Amino acid sequence: MKESRLYISFVLIMKLLLRRRMVPVLMVVIPAAFFLVVYLTTSTRVIPFRVASMAEDIFIEVGERSCSLAFFAVASVGFLSSYVGLILIQSNVAVNHRLIICGYHPLEILLSHFIVLFMIILFVAAYTSLSLLIFFSPSQFILFFLSLILAGWVYGSYGLAIGSLIKGELEGILMIVLLANIDAGWLQNPLFYAEAENQVIIRYLPAYFPSQAAIISAFSTYDVINVVLGSLIYGSLFFILANAMFYSKMKKV
Amino acid sequence: MILQVENIQKAFGSKHVLNGISIAIHQGMLIGIVGENGAGKSTLVKILVGLWKADSGRLSINCKTGYCPQLPLVFQHLSVMENFRYFASAYKLCTHKGDKQPYYEQLMKLFRFDEYKNQLVMNLSGGTIQKLNLAIALMHQPDLLILDEPYNGFDWDTYLCFWEYIKHFREEGGSILLVTHLLTDTSVFDQVYNIKKGVLE
Repeated sequence: MKESRLYISFVLIMKLLLRRRMVPVLMVVIPAAFFLVVYLTTSTRVIPFRVASMAEDIFIEVGERSCSLAFFAVASVGFLSSYVGLILIQSNVAVNHRLIICGYHPLEILLSHFIVLFMIILFVAAYTSLSLLIFFSPSQFILFFLSLILAGWVYGSYGLAIGSLIKGELEGILMIVLLANIDAGWLQNPLFYAEAENQVIIRYLPAYFPSQAAIISAFSTYDVINVVLGSLIYGSLFFILANAMFYSKMKKV
Repeated sequence: MILQVENIQKAFGSKHVLNGISIAIHQGMLIGIVGENGAGKSTLVKILVGLWKADSGRLSINCKTGYCPQLPLVFQHLSVMENFRYFASAYKLCTHKGDKQPYYEQLMKLFRFDEYKNQLVMNLSGGTIQKLNLAIALMHQPDLLILDEPYNGFDWDTYLCFWEYIKHFREEGGSILLVTHLLTDTSVFDQVYNIKKGVLE
């Protein structure tokens, strides 16, 4: 059977990515390291907090450790996805340009990068959510797994967009670390959010919807349809931006 | 005529790099373009292959072109064979005119890639990477080859092999535009232009 160009491109990009040894190492180490630090530094006391995306009178009571573990699961998937998205786009720009001159369409190249990114997101989300079972069992496990995929979708698309916009690798990494740290790693922490002075700003940041989906599915049986839709829209906006930038930079004139 | 360039102009900000370049290439011709570093040779090549857009002028190409860039543009973390496979899919190559063996496998033999076809490019010598860079430009059997400093890093045997291939390519009706900063033998060329301050002489 004849292999399609998209399939060949996908397989070879996956090889290119996994042969950068730091990528598979980080995929395994970062969630484990985050969980270990949280486990060693948080208490098991029960804290009641209001879930940002739900009615004002709905409070959830959970252990500080479990809450932090769920929150850091989102942060680690978000950080890894944006990092992989960035390096996929920024690596081999000139060679990809040559491929386009030789016959590939720019969007074929971007789509094959995205398929690779999606596979990585699936792996990291599965690995992270299964690792979390060592510590506690989320109330709606499948939805929790889905919320991690959504975190990967939003932040992976952000990484693709940053990689398409910014030429320098260091500047790109800085943009990713900055947003991932402030947003996914700090402001979206439900314990911080409950006490925050200006909650409106936090609601407009990329990790808001997937974090909410993760917290709700981990600790309650409420439905998450609104925040799932919000995540899909947010990720799509980044993805469209990434496509537009990549196409305008890489198209054959 | 397979390539015609008329009055191409290109500027980067206030710096005018190409000031009205015109060239015509017919089938079977070998054209050389020489010039000092920064004279505008690579800018011209990038416009010809569609990487950059000229500010003004007319460009018409009526054939299949192969482009060998100055710096090797190949995937360092893929093997030689994987690079061939990727570019073969870009060119939509399957087999060569009914042959069972794809043409790029013949090129692999010609450029003696057999012994390291499964090695990652990052582990190869500079000259071998440059050979791969050239072979990728040839694998879809273009009618016109646009070569930007193609023999940087070649050893003497590979250099001779390169000219042997160029001779064979022309005998089969192929045309070549070779851009370099150094030409030792101009007798093989149909025409050699010198590019100076963005103008061909």
